[in-house]
Amino acid sequence: MILVIAEQKDGKLNRASWEALAAAQQLAGAGTPIKVAVAGHGLSNVAAELAAAAVSEVIAIDDAKLEIYTPDGFVQALQQVIASVSPAYVMFAHTYQTRDFSATLAARLDRALVTDVTAIRNVNGVVAFARPMFQGKLVADVAPQGPAPHLVTVQIGAFRADAVTKGPAAAPISTAAITIDSASIRQKPEAPFQEAKQAVDLSQAERIVSVGRGIKSQENIAVAEQLAKAFGAELAASRPICDNGWLPMERQIGSSGQTVAPKLYRSEGISGAIQHLVGMKGSRTIVAINKDAEAPIFEVADYGIQGDLFELAAALIAELQKS
Amino acid sequence: MSREVLDVDVLIVGGGPSGLSAALRLTQLQKQKGGEPLSIAVVEKAREAGAHSLSGALLDPSTLRDLIPDFQAKGAPLAAEVHEDNIYFLTPTHKFRFPITPPPFKNHGNYIIALNQFTKWLAAQVEAEGIDLFMGFAAQHVLYEGTRVIGVRLGDRGLGKDGKPKAAFEPGADIHAKVTIFADGVRGHLTKQLIGALHLDARSQPGQFAIGIKELWEIPKGRLKPGTVIHTLGYPLKEEEFGGTWLYAMPDDRISIGLVAGLDYKDPLFDPHAAFQHFKLHPFIKGILEGGHLMRYGAKALPEGGWNTQPQLFFDGGLIVGDAANFVNSMRLKGIHLAMRSGMLAGETAFDAVRAGDTSSAFLARYKMQVDESAIRTELYPVRNVHQAFGAGLIAGTAFAGLTMATGGRLMEDLPGHAGHTRMRTLAHYYGLEKRDILTGSNAAPFDRKITFDKVTGAHYSGTHHEEDQPVHLLVQTDVCHSVCGDEFGYPCVRFCPANVYEMVDNGAGGKRLQINASNCVHCKTCDIMDPYGVITWVPPEGGEGPQYDGM
Repeated sequence: MILVIAEQKDGKLNRASWEALAAAQQLAGAGTPIKVAVAGHGLSNVAAELAAAAVSEVIAIDDAKLEIYTPDGFVQALQQVIASVSPAYVMFAHTYQTRDFSATLAARLDRALVTDVTAIRNVNGVVAFARPMFQGKLVADVAPQGPAPHLVTVQIGAFRADAVTKGPAAAPISTAAITIDSASIRQKPEAPFQEAKQAVDLSQAERIVSVGRGIKSQENIAVAEQLAKAFGAELAASRPICDNGWLPMERQIGSSGQTVAPKLYRSEGISGAIQHLVGMKGSRTIVAINKDAEAPIFEVADYGIQGDLFELAAALIAELQKS
Repeated sequence: MSREVLDVDVLIVGGGPSGLSAALRLTQLQKQKGGEPLSIAVVEKAREAGAHSLSGALLDPSTLRDLIPDFQAKGAPLAAEVHEDNIYFLTPTHKFRFPITPPPFKNHGNYIIALNQFTKWLAAQVEAEGIDLFMGFAAQHVLYEGTRVIGVRLGDRGLGKDGKPKAAFEPGADIHAKVTIFADGVRGHLTKQLIGALHLDARSQPGQFAIGIKELWEIPKGRLKPGTVIHTLGYPLKEEEFGGTWLYAMPDDRISIGLVAGLDYKDPLFDPHAAFQHFKLHPFIKGILEGGHLMRYGAKALPEGGWNTQPQLFFDGGLIVGDAANFVNSMRLKGIHLAMRSGMLAGETAFDAVRAGDTSSAFLARYKMQVDESAIRTELYPVRNVHQAFGAGLIAGTAFAGLTMATGGRLMEDLPGHAGHTRMRTLAHYYGLEKRDILTGSNAAPFDRKITFDKVTGAHYSGTHHEEDQPVHLLVQTDVCHSVCGDEFGYPCVRFCPANVYEMVDNGAGGKRLQINASNCVHCKTCDIMDPYGVITWVPPEGGEGPQYDGM
């Protein structure tokens, strides 16, 4: 049995949970049942949403003490649920929250944890989890050892959310019987805040229009904004644009900004320094426009256009506005 | 604002080979002599031990044998014993093998190591003795009481770009110590403060340095036998430029490859990183690398000036060890064993001083006496003029080095030494008055992204990371960048920085503006050393940041 831990906040499911489910379904193949658990308080909508997937059960870990996330609270709750369902694998999306508590959970259970997994492979009859090393230059196949369960977190964008098999009917929803000792919750979180005012979470965007040095001047950002609007996309940028203050830092893609994997990534005048590529190469479809045919961005692009981005943008905006 | 204060007997600033050796020696003396245990702390700016350690590296195991006699049983990570030495002179297309290996280049009995792993192992030995290693804490300032050093102040965390506290602001703690051992590495930023404040260079030559640029590669199976050592002289450096290259073969088809270029070059348009790319494109080297791939990149300055550039090593409340004291033998290309030796000796003096209740300069001078009686002097004094002689070029320098070997350095006057950055010529002096493209190096190299890579890609492979929203940690407190530097030197910072930290971008008014990409920094200190006006000061960013030199 495989247990997937979904993630929600204020009754809204994190999209990456579907990716963890897709990974679990691939690992399970036919035959192995999958259960999905979600922790928090007031979970009926999220649980119902998850019940659409082809899983044998949705477990709502509902407790007022889990309403606000704390690593101690979550570790306590999940430890009990894992003990009661005794899965072979526990799978998570590699979100910030997972990163925060999964190592503690694994240590508490004294079980192996494989993080940031990008693929699941069968290596000589052994299940191995591929994970990047050396900033993505090498990929290691890791076969966890020791008793079950093995904990696995999957990289965001590595598995396709829309690949999740839906069930013929909604899966049954149960509530986990757990007790949380509030005295052993050492963290007292304050109200969450975002450091920047209009912070955007680009990792949740389905389409992104991203601009680089090729945009040339601050005035031309307006063109990119129009293009993004026409596509119904979020606007993002490579580092020099944010360094210049032409777009706020929270819209920067790459190793010092956000990592994204949208369905469509349009790269407008970005040469493709490796720091940028690591932030977007997991995108489903990459369309790159650049004047320089030798630009490294073309090595990761599905569609490459050597040409003038302004000429193309004008034509695209006109065409998209027609439809 | 209140700062935490921690009191210890001995504080060691820097968790590299010298600092860790000092810590280990202190615990050994503790065991031998018993009595009230000393409290000892080590602070290190890297997030984990060895993360900022970069070297070739060849290890002379002599000090290791003295410090940890059972180092083999304790699993010291010595990648391969050297079994073959090769030296070549390169021209742009050919190689000429030296018929004999000159004695300083003989490495029989030495080991090829990854200094990163070696340092990590050494740190584990220190931790096993119960010493607290404060990893990820950068010492920012020296604390004084009059002219007495009483400890250091750690850097604040959580300051924004504008220098104002962010939500998670945490003031750095003060660590007070009876003796502070400064092991802050090549061009240590605290040692630099000390030299200025206490005039520790009154009787020494200015420090002289080189930059080492290194890559770790995995090459096709079986191409080089582990333990093979290759050094080259000549191309891609000019006759007037000090330096050379290395290539060391380790197990599992990994190689360490790099170039050292003296930070006393004259050509203002020279780019050390470009020279390294040309080296990799040389048919001899390309033949080794082709089909392999780059795993890691890094750069670090190294002391070259030798014995006569050591600052005064002791003062009230403190000692200087290792690379910070310039203890490198530039002729043998080795310094790790000297760093460790100086750390051991400093540990011994610090122990005695704390026990004697006298940590004055007069007592701590014993450390200098011990250095003078140790292998450090025996090894460094005879070759004290060699790097200085290379100031007259490769041929003169080599001839002088040969003469030094023949005479053991006797009967020679000390040659004068100059700070390397003062040797850089202006564009007009070096190239005459003809107009040049000053934003392209004189030795610009192509980037094929297979063998050669640009600096931005290199910065990525260094694993370096810095929070963007913090004060810039490279202080350029002048306007020469925008006024005279372009005309005089053609913005050399753009070229000598190996990580694209310095960039001249359009200022929107037809001129150029200096942009500092501080988050690319690999903590090599080259800019602090080589900028011709001497106006760049490297200070540590938030603790725990910087490169991640796994396997380097």
